[in-house]
Amino acid sequence: MLAVYRREIKSYFNTPIGYIFMGAFLGVSGVFFALFNLFGQSPDFKGTLSNITFIFLLTVPILTMRLLSEERNKKTDQLLLTSPLSLSGIVLGKYFAAVTVFLISLLVTALYPLAMSMYGPLAGWEIFGSYVGFFLMGSSLIAVGLFISSLTENQLIAAIITFVVLLLTYLLDGLMQIVPTGNAAGIIFVALCVLALAGLFYSATRNIYIGLLIVLLGGGAIGITAGIDASMYNGLIVKVLSWFSLLSRYNDFSVGILRLSPIVYYLTFSAALVFLTVRTQERRRWS
Amino acid sequence: MITVKNVTKRYGQHVAVDDISFTVKKGEILGFLGPNGAGKSTTMNIITGYISATDGQVLVDDIDIMDDPIAVKKKIGYLPEFPPLYVDMTVQEYLDFVYDIKKTGFAKDKRQEDLDRILELTRIQDMKGRLIKNLSKGYKQRVGLAQALIGDPQVLILDEPTVGLDPKQIIEIRSLIKRLGREHTIILSSHILPEVSAICERVIIINEGRIVASDTMDNLSRGLDDKSRMILRVAGSESGVLKAIKTVDGVKFAEAQGVKEPDTVDILVEAGMDIRRPLFHALARAQYPILMMRPLDMSLEDIFLRVTAGEKGVQ
Repeated sequence: MLAVYRREIKSYFNTPIGYIFMGAFLGVSGVFFALFNLFGQSPDFKGTLSNITFIFLLTVPILTMRLLSEERNKKTDQLLLTSPLSLSGIVLGKYFAAVTVFLISLLVTALYPLAMSMYGPLAGWEIFGSYVGFFLMGSSLIAVGLFISSLTENQLIAAIITFVVLLLTYLLDGLMQIVPTGNAAGIIFVALCVLALAGLFYSATRNIYIGLLIVLLGGGAIGITAGIDASMYNGLIVKVLSWFSLLSRYNDFSVGILRLSPIVYYLTFSAALVFLTVRTQERRRWS
Repeated sequence: MITVKNVTKRYGQHVAVDDISFTVKKGEILGFLGPNGAGKSTTMNIITGYISATDGQVLVDDIDIMDDPIAVKKKIGYLPEFPPLYVDMTVQEYLDFVYDIKKTGFAKDKRQEDLDRILELTRIQDMKGRLIKNLSKGYKQRVGLAQALIGDPQVLILDEPTVGLDPKQIIEIRSLIKRLGREHTIILSSHILPEVSAICERVIIINEGRIVASDTMDNLSRGLDDKSRMILRVAGSESGVLKAIKTVDGVKFAEAQGVKEPDTVDILVEAGMDIRRPLFHALARAQYPILMMRPLDMSLEDIFLRVTAGEKGVQ
């Protein structure tokens, strides 16, 4: 893992990718620092941080697009996969390398609050807390990018899909306000999920009976639970969508609260996506 | 050393490798021969653990690759069809990285010593500091070979190792592979037939995912070469010469091949035995001077075309 990690970090700075990422990241954060804190004469740096979360939309795809897609495109994955390395070691090495480059950029931005602290008192712990949140959110989004990069051979496609997926997670909170919340909507939503699951199993096994079985079981379960207490379907869509709302977890950090649950959420989210990436890589050997 | 048992690889409906079985003994150089798309690379990818077989088993040094992939991968050096090079690294950086991921366990100073030996072997010492993307195809191929040699693996699997090299380099690499064959077990694929016959002790011919022939070079050519054939160039008229040749005992077949030189005729003769002497006397008696007599041995090309064509009938 360490060898892959070191090579990946080196490669970020042997190619323009690392510089483009850091340039964009520091450029945007610098502009916002100047606008809000310097010209706005405000010591509220955590406000600045929460204003620049959109920065991930543009920079994460740059950072993650080539991680796994390029290995496959250039056939260098043959070297990694035929060497005595574990698949999870390879994927983790790459993930940590991307996170490290992000962390380095983030540490550079710590110069801004440090510079401010020379001119007056700052809410140091609050700023630290929102840095932790900012870092965790960035790491989760990098895990999303890593996963998408494992799905394609083409870096450009990986970058575009990553951008679109990140955009959707950003719009998720807005979306949650307009989705229907009634019992019927919840039941229809679950029914659609059951159908999708059945379709997935059918396409994987080509066995129509398995698909039908899932439809029957799922339909039965919906019928029974709705018969007992239909109100449990109330607002279900919003609930499900909020599982994926990375942005709303950042709210606590941005007002200066350091709570355990969002930290655990981000860490689990990243771990799950890294695990999924390992699985897709593993599956590729079989197809 | 390597045992491949009933290995099959399917991609959906397409069968890339169909129930292949063979073994390679320790210290043997095995040639893998087949047209493009025959399943050579797929088989090699399965042995090295890059992809998994749909069915069947691969044992390297009696270890199943499914049971302990790490142990098997440590024993194998692999040069894939396209050398897996990180083009934004220098040769030295790249090979250092390969030492790291192969977990060779060399101490820092010992490692450079070992690396210098491999650079010397593959003749890329002068390229150490160059970026791989600036190297020519031939040098890239050699860096790929150097990569496979790192960690002194017992088994070397080389997928078309001489592609892209110039004739002088090809000879160098071939003699290098022969030398390596003394200590390593080697599987080498190629669609260049003289290459396989020059290096390998044993050849497996593979076509459309199946093994169509597997034997030593000698046996392969002997088995098919049951008649001696030759080309003659004789001064004289076609009909006269043919008539004279057919008087010789043992001639099975004689046919004019056209005129390549004025007032001569080229003739293809097949016989069940060595008829060079009686042929000479017969033509001398008939006053037809023999200007050229060239035996036509069954080459690997002929073997190859014959077995692959025989598979599908006449093409």
